[in-house]
Amino acid sequence: MIKIVKRDQPSKAIFFFTPVLAIFLTLIAGGIIFYILGFKPFEALKFFFIVPIADKYGFSELLLKATPLCLIAIGLSFCFKSNNWNIGAEGQLTFGAIVSGGVALLFYDQEGFYILPIVILAGAIGGMIYASIPAILKTYFNTNEILVSLMLVYVSKLILDYLVVGPWSNPEGFNFPETRQFSDSARLPLLFEGLRIHAGIFLALAAVVISWFVFYKTYLGFQMKVSGFSLKTAKYAGYKGKKMIILVFLISGACAGLAGVGEITGPIGQLHREVSPDYGFTAIIVAFLGRLHPVGIIFASLVVAITYLGAETAQIFMQIPKYTGQVFQGMILFFLLASDYLLFFKFKFIGSKK
Amino acid sequence: MNTNLKISNVTKIYPGCIANDDVSLEFNSGKIYALLGENGAGKSTLVKILSGVVIPDEGKIYLNKNILKLNSPSDAKKNDIGMVFQHFNLFETLSVFENLIIDSDEQRESLREKIDTIMKKYNFSVDLDVPVLNLSAGQKQKVEIIRCLIRSPKVLIMDEPTSVLTEQETSELFLSLKKFSEEGILIIYITHKLKEVMQLCDEVAVMRRGKLVSVSQIDNENIESLANKMVGQDLKTIKKKKENTSSEQLIKITNLNFTSEDPFETNLVDINFSLNRGECLGVAGISGNGQSELFQVLSGEIISNKNSIEFNKNFIGDLNPQERREYLMAFSPEDRLEQAAIPQMAIFENVALNNFKSSNFFNNGLINESKIKEHSKKIISEFNVNTDNIDLKSQFLSGGNLQKLIIGRELITSPDLLICFNPTWGLDVGAINYIHETLIKINEQNKSIILISTDTDELLKLSDKISVIHRGRLSKIMNAEDVTSEKLGILMGGGN
Repeated sequence: MIKIVKRDQPSKAIFFFTPVLAIFLTLIAGGIIFYILGFKPFEALKFFFIVPIADKYGFSELLLKATPLCLIAIGLSFCFKSNNWNIGAEGQLTFGAIVSGGVALLFYDQEGFYILPIVILAGAIGGMIYASIPAILKTYFNTNEILVSLMLVYVSKLILDYLVVGPWSNPEGFNFPETRQFSDSARLPLLFEGLRIHAGIFLALAAVVISWFVFYKTYLGFQMKVSGFSLKTAKYAGYKGKKMIILVFLISGACAGLAGVGEITGPIGQLHREVSPDYGFTAIIVAFLGRLHPVGIIFASLVVAITYLGAETAQIFMQIPKYTGQVFQGMILFFLLASDYLLFFKFKFIGSKK
Repeated sequence: MNTNLKISNVTKIYPGCIANDDVSLEFNSGKIYALLGENGAGKSTLVKILSGVVIPDEGKIYLNKNILKLNSPSDAKKNDIGMVFQHFNLFETLSVFENLIIDSDEQRESLREKIDTIMKKYNFSVDLDVPVLNLSAGQKQKVEIIRCLIRSPKVLIMDEPTSVLTEQETSELFLSLKKFSEEGILIIYITHKLKEVMQLCDEVAVMRRGKLVSVSQIDNENIESLANKMVGQDLKTIKKKKENTSSEQLIKITNLNFTSEDPFETNLVDINFSLNRGECLGVAGISGNGQSELFQVLSGEIISNKNSIEFNKNFIGDLNPQERREYLMAFSPEDRLEQAAIPQMAIFENVALNNFKSSNFFNNGLINESKIKEHSKKIISEFNVNTDNIDLKSQFLSGGNLQKLIIGRELITSPDLLICFNPTWGLDVGAINYIHETLIKINEQNKSIILISTDTDELLKLSDKISVIHRGRLSKIMNAEDVTSEKLGILMGGGN
């Protein structure tokens, strides 16, 4: 007989083991799906997970995709650790891209070292403004931040749509839905000749270090943590709980906004309709797969980034729709939630005695 | 006709705990049975099994020698088992009569007649046509009892029925229960209050950690023997030494009012009192009469007029809890798991919640973990918290140990005033004793206490002065020697 017993205290090992288990289960389930679709499972998985990153270019692409995921997930980890369910990072990314793109367009015919910092800052501020909407509505009007932040995603996408089709569209662009190219001074520098990986990765790494420091080492981080677990406790301890909520939203919005900056000032260099292939939503999976821990998030962003690349390779070589990538992302989250059961319970095998 | 209810080898296992471990019990009508045990002893699970809410993993239930299959609450009803839960299952906005007719299949008119006869017979007076929300707790309970009586039950189970009642309502309830029992209804009375068992019951079954510990006649027991069985250890009795308290005033509350925007909160009206050093002021009352609001106003979670609170010659009404702590106040809220501590955080992190400038837990905005840990170790050893691992998440502490940690955290800084709200709620007798001793000790060190509690015995044991809160108003302050629990009961019910 197998018995399910509650764990006394979840061990650290299990805590980091379950994400690995989830990835493993995802691979098995993915293999089964490929088999049903009529592919050889191992070959298909190889196309999906190994071929895309086998060369230098592939690896650069991996880092390129992982950068925004990591940045956004780091920001989200502040929200999630304090029980604020900001799921509108996609909107904050888009709005950050709009604001920084707008600033970059102001300088489209100018050069100067000062332009890039202003553009980056504008993106962060844009994300913060957008994230402050659900935060303020939550703290002062008791609205549900999940709904508000999610719905604002669609609002931001429509604003972007309007801008690139209408007022900001490139006068010489033959009515394509895109803006002018930014000037080189408004672009994040590429790191290597011929590869698309750009300086945005340093923003992500800086975010990792800073977030680790703030959350684990400062009084501010401690207050955020307490406020997240219980506003009643925060009040009792004398913390300003509502300000903490707004603060975590602002941090999260800033990170998403920066990810937006990276997208438009990196390889693309202009605003267009699709600034992000749902990085803001996928980053939610990354945040949880990384256990909301800065280092965990680095690894998780790499793993999830592969699903983006794998989907593209699979589309090219196997003629499967690239949405398979989303299937894999969904499975990772699904198996992660399921294996989290092991955090709190363990199986005990007992001999067949009555 | 006699009723015989038999529980045979019942076991129920939840993940992580055995709620009922091979429990066998037999009940016969004509007697009132007490099922006694601390919180978490397994009483409620057993009762839920009897009422069909929970299905046991093993074991059988017999009613008059026939096996009972109780797969749902309606099975229990069909087999004439009635149950009154601790928390009422009534629709607040419907009238009493509507509440009673909901789960009955009888005609309106005949039901009304039936209810009238029941009410006459047992001397109940409840207006059938008012909405339930206008009723007092005692009356709501009567509605629940009538609901059971309509079905002329053979067995009536009462789960902690007096926790919301005043003394008067309690004695009325006991009279009714005795009458039911004389008429042949088998009564099972679940409680952790020893006094009630002695007053009411004929036989007592004691449970501890899911196991049945003893079954005995009440005549062979007394409060001490039952308490020892319940806890499984011998208890010392403690008494407060009456000493001359100083006459130096420590805190004075003047014309304190609080009007809430939340309809579920109670407004506080014209609160006035003062307290000297070394004294303990007990605030009695039935829960929901403004205790929680009073606590929050005193702790600074609700900020009030600056001049309404004078503490140590400073006016502090407009300060938040952290700022009040700097003036040497300490607070122990009622809700251990949702307010006083954060279960998901480590013990030492919980210690850091009570943070003084001089404690140096946080320097220049950075966490000084070694300082906090050192401080936590001190609390753990001085206040007998039963663990040596301060990295342990506090959810793994028992209620008693968690409360010791909280009280220790608040007291280790030797504050002049401790404000505590139901400090022993839900604790086992051993932990209660420890907390009581600690509170007496700090009074002896010339520190003051404001003890807001719904436990009258606790208040009478610890307080020097007592006041009663009723609908947000505080009664005049009485000397504890002049107060009896009957008198408190009248005041708690709103009488004079």
